[in-house]
Amino acid sequence: MRRKSLRMVAIGAAIGVAGALSACSTGPATNSASTTNLASVSVGAMKNYTAGTPFKATVPMSFSLLYSDHPNYPQKPSWLLWQQMTKLTNVKLNPTIVPMSDYAAKRSLLIGAGHAPMIIPKTYPGQETPFVQSGAILPVSDYVNLMPNYEQTVKEWGLQSEIDGLRQADGKYYVLPGLHQQIWPDYTLVVRTDIFTKLGIAIPKTWNDLKTALGRLKAANPSTIPFSDRYMGGATMNIASPTYGTAMGEGLFHLGDGTMFNQATNKFVYAAAQPQYEQLLAYFNSLVKGGLMDPESFTQTDDQAIAKFTSGKSFVISGNSQDVVTYRTSMDQTLGKGKYSISKITVPGGPAGNIIAGSRLENGVMINSQALKSPNFVAMMQFIDWLYYSEAGKEFAKWGVLGTTYTKSAAGVRTLEPNINFQGLNPQGTKDLRKDYGFSGGVFAYGGSTDLLQSMMSPEEIVFQKAMAATKTPQPIAPPAPLSEADQAQATLLQTPLQDYVDQNTLQFILGQRPLSQFGAFVTELQGKGMTTYVDMKNKAYTTFKNKK
Amino acid sequence: MTDQRAATRQAGKSTVTLQDASLPSVRKSRSGRRAQNRDGSGNRKNKPAKQTWAGAFRKDWRLYTLLGAPTLYFIVFKYLPMAGNVIAFRHFTPGGSIFGEYWVGFQYIQMFINDPTFWSVFKNTIILGVLTLVFSFPMPIIFALLLNELRSKKFKKIVQSISYLPHFMSVVIVVGMIFQLTSLQGTINQLLGHFTGGAIDFMQQAAWFRPVYVSSDVWQTMGWGAILYLAALTTIDESLYEAARIDGATRWQQTWHVTLPGISPMIMTLLILNIGSFMAVGFEKILLLYNPLTYPTADVISTYLYRVGIESNNFSYATAIGLFESVIGLTLVMSANSISRRLVGASLW
Amino acid sequence: MKDSTGYKVFRVFNITALLMIVFVTFYPFLNMVAQSFSSEGNINAGRVNLIPLGFNIETYKIVMGDALFWTSYKNTVIYTVVGTLISMVLTTTFAYAISKRHLKGRNFFIAIAVFTMFFNGGIIPNYVLISSLGMRDTLWAIVVPNAISVFNLLIMKSFFENMPAELEEAGAIDGLSTYGILFRIVLPLSKAVLATMVLFYAVINWNAWFGAFLYLDKSSLFPVTIYLRNMIAGASTASSLGGNAENVTQIASNIKSVTMVLSVVPILLIYPFVQKYFVSGVMLGSVKQ
Repeated sequence: MRRKSLRMVAIGAAIGVAGALSACSTGPATNSASTTNLASVSVGAMKNYTAGTPFKATVPMSFSLLYSDHPNYPQKPSWLLWQQMTKLTNVKLNPTIVPMSDYAAKRSLLIGAGHAPMIIPKTYPGQETPFVQSGAILPVSDYVNLMPNYEQTVKEWGLQSEIDGLRQADGKYYVLPGLHQQIWPDYTLVVRTDIFTKLGIAIPKTWNDLKTALGRLKAANPSTIPFSDRYMGGATMNIASPTYGTAMGEGLFHLGDGTMFNQATNKFVYAAAQPQYEQLLAYFNSLVKGGLMDPESFTQTDDQAIAKFTSGKSFVISGNSQDVVTYRTSMDQTLGKGKYSISKITVPGGPAGNIIAGSRLENGVMINSQALKSPNFVAMMQFIDWLYYSEAGKEFAKWGVLGTTYTKSAAGVRTLEPNINFQGLNPQGTKDLRKDYGFSGGVFAYGGSTDLLQSMMSPEEIVFQKAMAATKTPQPIAPPAPLSEADQAQATLLQTPLQDYVDQNTLQFILGQRPLSQFGAFVTELQGKGMTTYVDMKNKAYTTFKNKK
Repeated sequence: MTDQRAATRQAGKSTVTLQDASLPSVRKSRSGRRAQNRDGSGNRKNKPAKQTWAGAFRKDWRLYTLLGAPTLYFIVFKYLPMAGNVIAFRHFTPGGSIFGEYWVGFQYIQMFINDPTFWSVFKNTIILGVLTLVFSFPMPIIFALLLNELRSKKFKKIVQSISYLPHFMSVVIVVGMIFQLTSLQGTINQLLGHFTGGAIDFMQQAAWFRPVYVSSDVWQTMGWGAILYLAALTTIDESLYEAARIDGATRWQQTWHVTLPGISPMIMTLLILNIGSFMAVGFEKILLLYNPLTYPTADVISTYLYRVGIESNNFSYATAIGLFESVIGLTLVMSANSISRRLVGASLW
Repeated sequence: MKDSTGYKVFRVFNITALLMIVFVTFYPFLNMVAQSFSSEGNINAGRVNLIPLGFNIETYKIVMGDALFWTSYKNTVIYTVVGTLISMVLTTTFAYAISKRHLKGRNFFIAIAVFTMFFNGGIIPNYVLISSLGMRDTLWAIVVPNAISVFNLLIMKSFFENMPAELEEAGAIDGLSTYGILFRIVLPLSKAVLATMVLFYAVINWNAWFGAFLYLDKSSLFPVTIYLRNMIAGASTASSLGGNAENVTQIASNIKSVTMVLSVVPILLIYPFVQKYFVSGVMLGSVKQ
């Protein structure tokens, strides 16, 4: 039982793993754009619903929703979130509660068995792909004309090319992504600023600067290794690779399928075979060789890495804003409050410049195609549009109710009511914005304008965000290259061994188990593993899709 | 009964058997029964005429009623869903019919047969399974026997209660411990440092994965696995030991001729069952333990499937591979069973 | 009878070996227990060994202060008791019946059971079945689908087979029916194996979460395993938008060890009772002439 069950959960989770922007996909059985006669499904919809209009259904209605229950704020039916939502919109949501730990697996089970709720949130772009072909999921692109706020946001923030990246081979897309006005970087290096100051080391601005800094740290502490990483080195490599003009994802953070789009030649290439990749490897190899970076960074558990950092054995580690708080809480106990200071640094730049990779799209909503049969279909689309894509709806999901949970100054600055805590903003508060009221939860509150996002950030985090926005250029988005269904099966079987081989050799090169002089041989070996076939398949899909449009 | 006798005969020179021990009447009926089955010159008589179903039912209807509810359970909750396996041969799309959309014959089977990566992970699965069997299987037996030799009942109880604790540690905790122990500054390398001076990066060498995996498995299963054997040990008649002692057997000979034969049915049962399930190497544990450097030895079928990831036909492919594994498992059990029956006379059926 | 020197040496070696085993199994366990009572700073710095450092029961308080935890715990107890009962009834009756070698069709029934050890339908067919039977969101979806473990079944069958036929024959002579023999002779003599099976089934049911995850949608029905799994997952996801609620980092540092302690304590309490039955000689002197 255990083996079967675990494997099945893994399959379910695997189906739900975040995928590439250039989605591999299949075509649905029927190709007709089934825009049904919407008049019959418009019961309760607003007649003149436009962007910026508050949504209120003309008759009370309810929709089923798949709800990912976060243990830090377990769902309560008594939440003000639900009451107010119904009061404002006349819509009652019936959530199917799924523990967050097993959300992806349960989602694919429910869809697979035909029992899914109408609204399925927390779906990352790419996770909708397996369900496309059966027609279980609505091709939302056919219905976005019902969603004025969504369309307006896409237009205002220039997101159309990213949205196009979600299109399947039939030209439609099947998930309504969360939209960000700007790329929202979070992972970077966290350093012991107090030690840097003490030794007079400047905060590094480039990777070479970092190497110098690490060298100085080591000289002052010869028996330590200054940089011991967590996330199996994956986070660091992900922020470094765009600055080297390459792309990759190793360890936990596979982004993409290993290909990169070369703007100059208008073709996809395999990132790991390019000379820039070798440069990246050479850099990290030099760190390890010089005793500046812990070789165990790439294989140790997060706990081990954190232990080294918080006990003062290492001085640089990767992390996001939440991690910084975790480190501080531990270090208050191990090193003593006031005896240390840490901070996120702006991601260092590399030979290719100050580039960040990332998407302005994030997890969003899938719609069960059964929803088309409901008479309230149009109202539901309007509701989703208001809740997830209008300024008012997003503010509601994030901040709550004006006068009850927050106040707004004349200049538009929002402040939480003093008794309500969130993310340590009001530590003396007895109530928690998420736990007690249900706002700012992960199911409804994400994405949005930069202003809204930053409204709840700590001042330190805002400094980081602004610095990143000022110095970084986003990497251009790769164009869509959806594979046909026939190709997709073969592609996956090709891609996994290729990626495995890249991962393996990446580590071997960095750790010095394989000399970098053999990089050329490595590229040849990749060809032997089907790299050319895979890249050709991708380029074919790209041109086919381009010509189709 | 026959198996027990045969097993004992096989195992040693002692003619003392369970049947002999308890009651004088037993010995009589045993020889009596033997006489029934053989004619004057010791040849086997023909068996009585085969029972008809009606006859059997009339005689044993109560036994059949005992079978009723469980059989219903098997049919409804095990065999009915098995029909879903048909998607190994049909194209299944999540959200479509649960029996798939159309026949594709052996397409998925061919897909994994032609995939060279599949065969290398298959090989790893087998190797890990065999290693686990070879090392994890005997340890609970040896442990149970060692416990059995303790004179102090209290000490025995304490040791036993502590020994099964690792069974209850979740795989996440165990993996965390393994990483701690094997890290470059961990306990093992510290000890090594005293002796050899060098440190080994266990988690980064493919060659070390198997020993690490197998030893952690032994550690986790030894205590819990011994429970069954300890239960079996209690069914061995004390008077057998008496008789052996009177015959002048040393403790070791007692173990060999009384204890082991006494628990050998349990050993054989568990051995056969374990052979059948040996391909089910721990998915979650390997997933947490491995990394790209150790893929060559650590990657097994289930983890490979997990990485194959997004593919609309995943369920069908996974089902096809699952069927393949199931067939192997069933074949192994059946072979192990008949070999066991031929060699030692003990078998599952 | 005196021990030979060889045996004396062996006894010393035996005790040493067993003590080492105790150390190797108990130390990690105590380490985990210590961590569950330690402060996050010490845990994250890797300082905790056998003694809690920075003793605190924050995580315990948070977990055990949550009403949902107790509901889940109650559910687990109910599922375990009912599930073990059902499993024992089904397994014992089936095992006893197929242990009778003279039973016609015996091999067929054994095959029915063994086959299911290797072949199963997959989660979607199982889900559809349970759904069509209307068992979703009920206790039955947890305790029935995996009621019989064929592994346990075959072990029980082996035990029954190796029971002397004479004991049962004596019962038949005394006029007992099959049921009578089963209940008045066989079961009382099988205490060791029954106790073991109860323990095995109880542990399986206690730690089970997969059935609940598949078939239950109401959090009020979840067993404690799901509750704790979710807490572990919540602790390890760095949700950048979601922030650092107080104690989240403390929870994150030792939720796993707290989970382990909460899961194992009941077993530790029950096990001594099971051990009582591991006393030898259960079959001795049971049949008087």
